[in-house]
Amino acid sequence: MKCCIKPSEDTRFFRFILMEQEVIESEMILPTHLSFKKIQMHEKYPKGQARGRHWKHLKQIIQAENYQNYPADEPNYVNIESPPSMHPRKQICDITGFEAPYSDPRTHLRYANTEVFKLIRSLPNEYVQRYLALRNAAVVLK
Amino acid sequence: MPFISRTQRQTDYNLIPPSCPIVIDNGASYFRIGWAGESEPRIIFRNIVQRPRHKITGETVTIVGDHDPMLLKYFDCTRSGPRSAFDNDVVFQFEIMEYILDFAFDRLGADEAPINHPILITECACNPVHSRSKMAELLFETYGVPSIAFGVDAAFSYKYNQQLGICDRNGLAICSGFTTSHVIPFINGEPVYEACCRTNVGGYHVTDYLKQLLSLKYPHHMQRLTWEKVEDLKMEHCYITLDYASEVRLFQKGAKEAEEKTRCWQLPWTPTPVEEPPSEEEIARKTALKERQGQRLREMAEAKRSSKINELENELKGLEFLIQQLRHVNGNDIPSFLAETGYVSKQEIESAIVKVTQSLRKAKGEQDEIEEKPEISNSEKYTLIDIPDNMLTPEQVKEKKRQLFLKTTSEGRQRAKQKRFEEELERERRNKEDEQRRLENPELYMEQLLVKYKDLSEKVEQRKRLKTNGNNGNENVSGGVGRGERLNAAQKERMRLLTTAAFDRGKGEDTFGIKDEDWQLYKKMSKDNDDEDEGPNEDEAELARVASKLREIDPTFFPKSDASSSGTEPPRFRPLRKEDFQILIGVERFRCPEILFHPNLIGIEQAGLDEMAGVSIQRLQSKSQSLEDSNGLTNSILITGGSCLYPGMSERLEAGIRMIRPCGTPIRVLRASDAVLDAWLGAASFASTMHFQRQVFNKTDYYEKGEDWLRRYQLKYSF
Repeated sequence: MKCCIKPSEDTRFFRFILMEQEVIESEMILPTHLSFKKIQMHEKYPKGQARGRHWKHLKQIIQAENYQNYPADEPNYVNIESPPSMHPRKQICDITGFEAPYSDPRTHLRYANTEVFKLIRSLPNEYVQRYLALRNAAVVLK
Repeated sequence: MPFISRTQRQTDYNLIPPSCPIVIDNGASYFRIGWAGESEPRIIFRNIVQRPRHKITGETVTIVGDHDPMLLKYFDCTRSGPRSAFDNDVVFQFEIMEYILDFAFDRLGADEAPINHPILITECACNPVHSRSKMAELLFETYGVPSIAFGVDAAFSYKYNQQLGICDRNGLAICSGFTTSHVIPFINGEPVYEACCRTNVGGYHVTDYLKQLLSLKYPHHMQRLTWEKVEDLKMEHCYITLDYASEVRLFQKGAKEAEEKTRCWQLPWTPTPVEEPPSEEEIARKTALKERQGQRLREMAEAKRSSKINELENELKGLEFLIQQLRHVNGNDIPSFLAETGYVSKQEIESAIVKVTQSLRKAKGEQDEIEEKPEISNSEKYTLIDIPDNMLTPEQVKEKKRQLFLKTTSEGRQRAKQKRFEEELERERRNKEDEQRRLENPELYMEQLLVKYKDLSEKVEQRKRLKTNGNNGNENVSGGVGRGERLNAAQKERMRLLTTAAFDRGKGEDTFGIKDEDWQLYKKMSKDNDDEDEGPNEDEAELARVASKLREIDPTFFPKSDASSSGTEPPRFRPLRKEDFQILIGVERFRCPEILFHPNLIGIEQAGLDEMAGVSIQRLQSKSQSLEDSNGLTNSILITGGSCLYPGMSERLEAGIRMIRPCGTPIRVLRASDAVLDAWLGAASFASTMHFQRQVFNKTDYYEKGEDWLRRYQLKYSF
C-alpha cells in the first residue's frame, strides 16, 4: 500500500492520505478540500460532532408547508397526487402471477389452482409474510 | 441497455465565458450536468453517495456515483449503503446533495471559487418551497453562484420534443421516472400544473418487485440477485403486454409460445464429481452390518433383563427366608435379630417383599393386579356415609368426608377402567376387521394404507414446519418480531388489534376501557385460535400405527423420515444438476412492469398510467377549459422518462386511454426522441435562449423577496 499525497492547490490543507495505489488512480474518492467552494464540508459539518443533522423527511416537509392556508385550487405537492384507482382491482396469484379467483383464508394469499395451494400450505411463515409484504398486506406489529 | 456513467474530468472550464449557464438535471436516478447549448451533458453519474470507512486507516471517505465494485474491497461497507438525497422525488438531504454537487463541479473542471455561471436546475413538479429554498441557499452560499432558475424536467422534455416537431403545442406529457410518474397537460405550450397528476410508482418499484419475486422463488441464489443486476435484467427482458389476462393464460396452459418467452439465466456452475452409486455388494454389506449391530443390541438388552430378573428373584428368596426365620424367633428378640439385616419390623419386610414381587412381575412383563387391594373392605370403609350429619361427632364428620372422597375417586377410577376396556374391545374389533380386509384383498389393502400413510405424513410434516421457524435455508429474516413469526394469521391479527389499542392512547395514561366501545375490540378477534394444538398428537399416533402395519405386511416399505425440512432446499441425496443453477424468468417479465398500470398490485392505492391521463384531462376540464382543447390533447401524448422504455408501452397506453376517452377521439402516443436525456437537452436548449436570462433570480432577489415569492416562482417555458 503506497502512500500518496493528494494534489491540492491550497497548501494550508495538506492532507496526507494513505491509500492504495489503484484507489487513488481511479480517483473515486471525493477530495476533502475543493477550491471552488466558499465553505468546505469539514467547516460546515465539523468532525466529531454527531452528524445528526436531522434533515426533515418528506412527510415533515409537507406538514410544515401548511398547504391548508393557501387556496385549494393552487397546485401544490399534495393536491396533484393521483386519486385511488377506479378500475376493478386486479387479482393475480401471489406466487405465480396467473389469474387468481381464490384466496386462502388462513394466510390471505391468493392462488390460482390446487398445486399452488399445496405450495402455499407448505410454506414457512416467513415466506408467507414476504409474499404478503409484496402487496403491502403483511401484518405489521408496530 | 444499461446506462453508462461518464465522469471524465473536463478540462475546458476556464475557456467558457461566465455568461454561459450550467445546466443540471437533478434526477432521482442519474445526475446530469453540462453546458447550455450543447448536445449532450458532459458528466453523468448515479445520484447516490456512499461513505464507507477505509479498512486500514479507519478514515471515512465519500464516494459519489457508481464505481468499480472491485475497488471497494479496501473499504468496510457494512454500515454505509448507498444513500440518495431524495425522498420520493423531493430533495431533502442537503448534505448528500452537497457531496454530489461537489463531485459534479469538480469533474466539470471547476477550480476557483466561486462558480461564476448562472445555473438552471431541474426539480419535481410543485416542489415544496422548503426544498427549493434550501437548494437555492446551498447554491448561493456555498458555491457563490450568481443566479439560479428552477424548472420541471417533464416540461423541458416536452418542449424539446415540440421543437423537434414530435409533439404539438397542446398535448399531454406522461413522464415515468425513477420513483414517481407524472402526467402534465400542456396548453399553448405551457404546462398546466392545476391539472397535473402524480403517482408514486416508478422504475425503482418495478426493479424492487422483480428482485423480491426472484428472491422468493430462488432463495438459494439470493446473493447473486443484487439490485444492480436485477435492474440490468429488467432493462433487458421486461416488456409490457397489451392484455395481461390473455398473456398469462398462455403461460398457464404451458403453450409453446410461453416456453419461447421464458428466458433462462444460467449461473456459473461446476458439476460436482459424480459418485458411483453404491453397488449391490456394498448395499448388502451395509445391511448385514446393520443387522449384526441390531442383533448385538438386542442381545445386550436381553442379557440385562435376565440379570435384573435374577437379582430380583434372589432378593425375594432372601426376604422370604428372613420371614421364615422370624417365625422361629421369639417376639422380644425380633429387633435385635433384625438389626443385622437392616429391617426394623415385620411389616417392613412384608412390604419389601410385596414391592420386589411387583417389580419382578413387571420385569417379566406381566400385568400387575395391585388394584384389587382397596376393594377388599369396600362395604366396611363407607359405613359412615349413610348416617346423616347431625348424629355424628365432629371427628366422625371428618371421617365421613374422607370416606365420601375415597368412594367418589374409586368410582371414578372404575369408570375410567371400564372405558379403557371398552376402547380396547373397539380396537380389537377394528383390528379384526382390518385383518379380514387384508386377507381378502392384500394388494388393495396395501395401496390404501400407503395412500393413508402419505397423507398423514404430509400433514404432520406441514404442521411441524409451520410450528418451527422456517429459517433453515435462509439468512434474511424479514420482519417477524420474535414470537410473531410463529403465530398464524388469526393470532397475528389479534396481536395487531391489541397493540394498536394500546398505542392509540396518549403517553403515560392508559385509558383503554373507560369507554364502553373499547371492549368491542374483542369481538373483532377470531375465537378459533386454539384448534391447531390438539390435532398433531392424534395424527402422529395414527401415523405411527399405520407405519407399523405397513412394515409388517410389506417387506419393501421404508418409513420416510423428515430428511429435508424445507422443500426449497435441494435434497442432499441428489447431485446438483445444471438446472439448479438456472433462473427462469417467464411471467415476471411482464408481471413487473404491470405495476405501472395497476399500482394496487404492490399495495399502492393510486391510479395507473392510463387512468392518470383520464384524471388529468378531467381536472383540466373542471378548470373551465374549453372542451375542444381537451379533446385535442390526446392527439399528442408524449411518453418520456427512463421508465417508459419498455417494449409495448405505447400500444398499451393507447389501448388504455382509448377505453376512457369518448369514442372517436384521436389518440396518438409519441415516444420522446431520447427518453432519458431529453430533460437535460430541453433544459440546455432553453438555457441558451434569451428568455432564460429574464427568468433567473439572484441572491439579492432571494433574500429580499422572501419565501412567499419563491413559492410562486414558476418558469415560463415559451416565448
